[in-house]
Amino acid sequence: MIYTVSDLIKKYGSRTVLDIAYLEIEKEQIYALLGANGAGKTTLLNILGLLETPTAGQIQYRSRPVNYSESALQALRKEIVLVSQHPILFTTTVFKNLEFGLKIRKIDKKERIRIIDESLDLVGMREFSNAPAQHLSGGETQRVAIARALALSPRVFLCDEPTSSVDVENQNIIITILRRINETKKISVLFTTHDRSQAARLAQHTIVLNQGRLVPTLYENIFRGVLQTDPSGQPQCVIQDKMHLSIGGHQRIEKPRAVSVFIDPEKIAGRKPSEDPAAANQLQGRVVQIIAENGKVRIVIDAGVWVALLVSKKRYQKLGFMVGETIRLSIPPEAINII
Amino acid sequence: MDLLIDSFLSAIVLVISLDAEMVSIIGVSLKVSLSSTILASLLGIPLGFTIAFSEFIGKRMAVTVLNTLLALPTVVIGLFVYAFISRRGIFGPFDLLYTQDAIIIGQVILIIPVIAAFTIAAISRIDERYRQTARTLGANRRQSAWVVFREARFGIVAALVAAFGRVISEIGISMMLGGNIKGFTRTMTTFMALEYDKGSFVLAVALGIVLMGISFAMNLLFHFFQGRVQSQ
Repeated sequence: MIYTVSDLIKKYGSRTVLDIAYLEIEKEQIYALLGANGAGKTTLLNILGLLETPTAGQIQYRSRPVNYSESALQALRKEIVLVSQHPILFTTTVFKNLEFGLKIRKIDKKERIRIIDESLDLVGMREFSNAPAQHLSGGETQRVAIARALALSPRVFLCDEPTSSVDVENQNIIITILRRINETKKISVLFTTHDRSQAARLAQHTIVLNQGRLVPTLYENIFRGVLQTDPSGQPQCVIQDKMHLSIGGHQRIEKPRAVSVFIDPEKIAGRKPSEDPAAANQLQGRVVQIIAENGKVRIVIDAGVWVALLVSKKRYQKLGFMVGETIRLSIPPEAINII
Repeated sequence: MDLLIDSFLSAIVLVISLDAEMVSIIGVSLKVSLSSTILASLLGIPLGFTIAFSEFIGKRMAVTVLNTLLALPTVVIGLFVYAFISRRGIFGPFDLLYTQDAIIIGQVILIIPVIAAFTIAAISRIDERYRQTARTLGANRRQSAWVVFREARFGIVAALVAAFGRVISEIGISMMLGGNIKGFTRTMTTFMALEYDKGSFVLAVALGIVLMGISFAMNLLFHFFQGRVQSQ
């Protein structure tokens, strides 16, 4: 394991932003860290990058507890590099930006030049070596920041939303770079993203955070809702005042309370509107997106709120849904999890 | 109006002909002002940098005090330093009164707050991500502080330009601690005041032109430096 995290708590004032009971991150693998804004992704990345200290709990790096003394941290930081969501380049040339970390590591000039050229080649920015860093575009800045980090041959490469502020062309370049450094240099990569499909394409493992906690889901279909009792006395969950879902059971709810709800996309059934109308939690919605993904098909339905369902290719072919078509959804109580 | 135009034209002739007395006065002014700016920067920049870069109780108060000292009248500094270096003062035996050193001491006190306050402002404007980036690239505290300092260099140079402008144009300290001694402690501003008192405008206006010229040259130099760095 490259990291083992146990009983990690991070608080800002009285607000708990991270509460992770246990998390292991294997070495030489690519991990995607998914979650909505404010889920704690960047905080976790900063803690793993040793730029922030946890309020409580323990982080083990390469099977040793992290020592938070300044000298110990400085030694560890030479193995772990973090590229932030909006990376900042020093106000000098691209070459000198890459040279900074190498000089700190006391690498001789000839070797520095070789490493810098190689790193810039890797991100396709060699011709910008003598360009002023502050004149680069957003995508180029991101690529130079990645090259600057990779020049240091880290064991761990942490990347906060590497593609969120760049165009599609640069997104593809960055994804290719991340995959290549993992494959060829065996660097452990952990990146945050909002984009499930990007995580599925690039990462071997996915970690999902919701309000600072790990959740055993694939990020989508997590909603804020209100748990209450319906007029017939049955417990129900109301999502954004648009979906009223019976959650089954005979749980008595004294007063409505806010909850996070996960609806398992593999347990939602989709049908043509004409078929089988008499099941629980029937909703009607319009197909807005269909994506082939890891041997399955993800269908996103606008039913007042966007709900995704995941079906096998065979099932999808049988259903024959088209984008724009109105379909019927059936969400059985067992698909609804209060988290 | 004629008086002013005549004085102005005569002043230009005087500047072009490099009048010996004028050259001597300019020399003293530049020597004293540059010396005090350099000395004050050696104290003011580290002071400002330390205040901006570290967290301590009373930091806001320290900044407020420095900002207040920006408005310190030169006459007050003149009186204060006079009390120390006059014959009866504790530094009396050093015979500093009415010397260029005395002017430099007073001017250093005048501009340390200027340089420190501008340095604090320049450092505070630097994005926190510079420090964080330096740290994640393996820099220690000193190295990441240097990164921040380097990014703040325009602001710090601007502080030096402002401080130099303040000392070369001040009169209170130069007059009270230098004594306006011809060929020794006579600066451009003390001489201009003297010529005004005498009702003789030509040399005063000439020195006024030189003063503005020096100020202009300093700013040109600053913009040249800024332009060069930005186009790197």
